[in-house]
Amino acid sequence: MAEGLALIVNGKIARVAVGGAKTLLSALRDDLRVLSPKRGCNQGVCGSCTVLIDGEPRRACLTLVERCEGVDVRTVEGLANDKFMQALQRAFVVSGGVQCGFCTPGVLASARALLAETPAPDEGEVKAALSGNLCRCTGYRTIVEAVLAAAKEVSL
Amino acid sequence: MKFAGAFDVKAPRPAVWEKIRDPGLMAACIPGCDSIEKVSETSYRAVVAVKVGPISARFSLVVDIVREEPPTRLVARARGEEGGRASALSCESLLSLTSLGEAGTRVEYEADVDVTGRLGKFGLGIMRKKVEQLSEAFVAAFRGRLEPAAAA
Amino acid sequence: MSAFVRHPASVEEAVGWLASIPGALPISGGASLMAMINARLVEPSCLVNLERLEELRGLSLQADGSLRIGAMTRHRDIAGSALLVGAHVLLRQAAAVIANRPVRNMGTIGGALGHADPAADYLGPLRCLDAEIEIAGRSGRRSVPMSQFILGWYETALAPGEIVVAARAPPLPAGATLYRKVARVSGDFATISCALRLEEDGRGTTARAAIGACGPAPLRSETAEELLRGGLGDAEAVARFGAALQAHADPIDDVRGSADYRLKLIPRVLASAIAELTGADRG
Ligand SMILES: Cc1cc2nc3c(=O)[nH]c(=O)nc-3n(C[C@H](O)[C@H](O)[C@H](O)COP(=O)(O)OP(=O)(O)OC[C@H]3O[C@@H](n4cnc5c(N)ncnc54)[C@H](O)[C@@H]3O)c2cc1C
Repeated sequence: MAEGLALIVNGKIARVAVGGAKTLLSALRDDLRVLSPKRGCNQGVCGSCTVLIDGEPRRACLTLVERCEGVDVRTVEGLANDKFMQALQRAFVVSGGVQCGFCTPGVLASARALLAETPAPDEGEVKAALSGNLCRCTGYRTIVEAVLAAAKEVSL
Repeated sequence: MKFAGAFDVKAPRPAVWEKIRDPGLMAACIPGCDSIEKVSETSYRAVVAVKVGPISARFSLVVDIVREEPPTRLVARARGEEGGRASALSCESLLSLTSLGEAGTRVEYEADVDVTGRLGKFGLGIMRKKVEQLSEAFVAAFRGRLEPAAAA
Repeated sequence: MSAFVRHPASVEEAVGWLASIPGALPISGGASLMAMINARLVEPSCLVNLERLEELRGLSLQADGSLRIGAMTRHRDIAGSALLVGAHVLLRQAAAVIANRPVRNMGTIGGALGHADPAADYLGPLRCLDAEIEIAGRSGRRSVPMSQFILGWYETALAPGEIVVAARAPPLPAGATLYRKVARVSGDFATISCALRLEEDGRGTTARAAIGACGPAPLRSETAEELLRGGLGDAEAVARFGAALQAHADPIDDVRGSADYRLKLIPRVLASAIAELTGADRG
């Protein structure tokens, strides 16, 4: 565990210890206290640990931290000034797309990646992009509405 | 998980019974069985390794003969754990032997197997297939021991 | 960097480590392996990271018209590849419905083959396309047809220490293709799947079909395909074709469906997929 690894998390270099099959999720939460990615199922199913790696949504719980050297790791914490994220956050508040909030950072990561790739997604594309993020509160309707509203706002 | 099945062996019933009660022979026929150690006339300790794809497990089992009516019926119970991994296995089984006269002996079995802990996560569907495969391998090995001609 | 994760620079170095370190496993996307490690289902002593192996990357069209997909090619890249044309489109159709976007950004075709989940979406299409699997091990290279790659439940022809280098699909006559995945919800593993392509020769059109998630390996019957030739529009012939595949099925009972349900679905899914493809063909 003596040797460390340099990660680029939210634009800053952060050193973390490595050892065994340590995951990016564990490095973020346990070492760096970046707490927006959640440890839900730890099996890649629930989506609450979804983060952006070089802009792509991936599962932090299934990502070996030793493969993250030199890649750009982004979580909600590092997207405060991002125009897509700002629009998404506003729209989620307005539509009521957040209830308990556990799934929200993962949903936002998936939605941010969608908006960056597809400026004017239709409802089907939003649902497809979010199909790997489970929410047990909202019933999804308000989430889908929020993403569509944010897309509209960004394109104005 | 409940299993049931039957197989015929070309050997007289008392001979089949004797082999079933022979721990050394059973150890050789049970796939993945590394050892059987006799604790008493009706209690044994066994170590059994199972492998499903990338997943390997080793169970230390205590096998108790709950009831026996030689040479026709045997009720056994096995319980055990996978060292330190919070995975447990228990199995209740019933064997009955029917004489088929010249044709040999029919062995019928029923078993109820329970796996809890990490292996349970892999899904019972696949576990069932694995147990079925293991029983087939057992039957083949057991027959091989009792029917030297067939094994050759 | 720790000694637990190795980063070989060549296939030879990778298989050398896999052969010499007891308990070492290759890691590609990690989507299945890390999930198993998190659940403590597997406890490797070392992970050999295949990510940097140039030879395992990307899709390429070979001189003989066959298509080679490097083992490290992600589902995402297969789903979006313009190199997949004609019958090979089947692989693109299958990749697009694997799990969800984050998992498709991680998982690879080599990892899917190494894991050999009976419900994995590539298995049927690769079988249907008569693909070959390129394998490397310490003792050299070899190639195994998909029909012989899966030996049992989660068991493959890979010997310990061997890795999948690529999947290769031979050139095939152009024909319509369809990948039908029946799943409880979008993104779930298949309850049953059907990879289908139509192939025409002088003697009439037939269907090449492989059914997934109904046994350890995809079900296919070349004999039944020949009997079906010319009979794609004949409901009875199609039903006989379904029954022939059903006869070889060995499905499991699980949360996605009972074995009995899966058996019943085989002829129905086949018939509806054939109807859809032949209908589309006419138009
Ligand atoms: C939530 C979730 C949902 C999923 N849903 C689906 C689905 O709907 N359909 C589907 O098909 N799949 C699904 N998968 C599986 C996914 O496609 C995996 O990515 C794939 O099975 C494994 O690929 P990988 O590259 O991640 O392999 P890894 O996880 O890296 O490896 C898997 C196994 O293969 C071995 N291995 C890795 N690379 C090689 C190689 N080159 N040669 C030999 N062995 C190798 C590893 O040692 C390990 O045992 C799902 C996975 C998750 C987490």
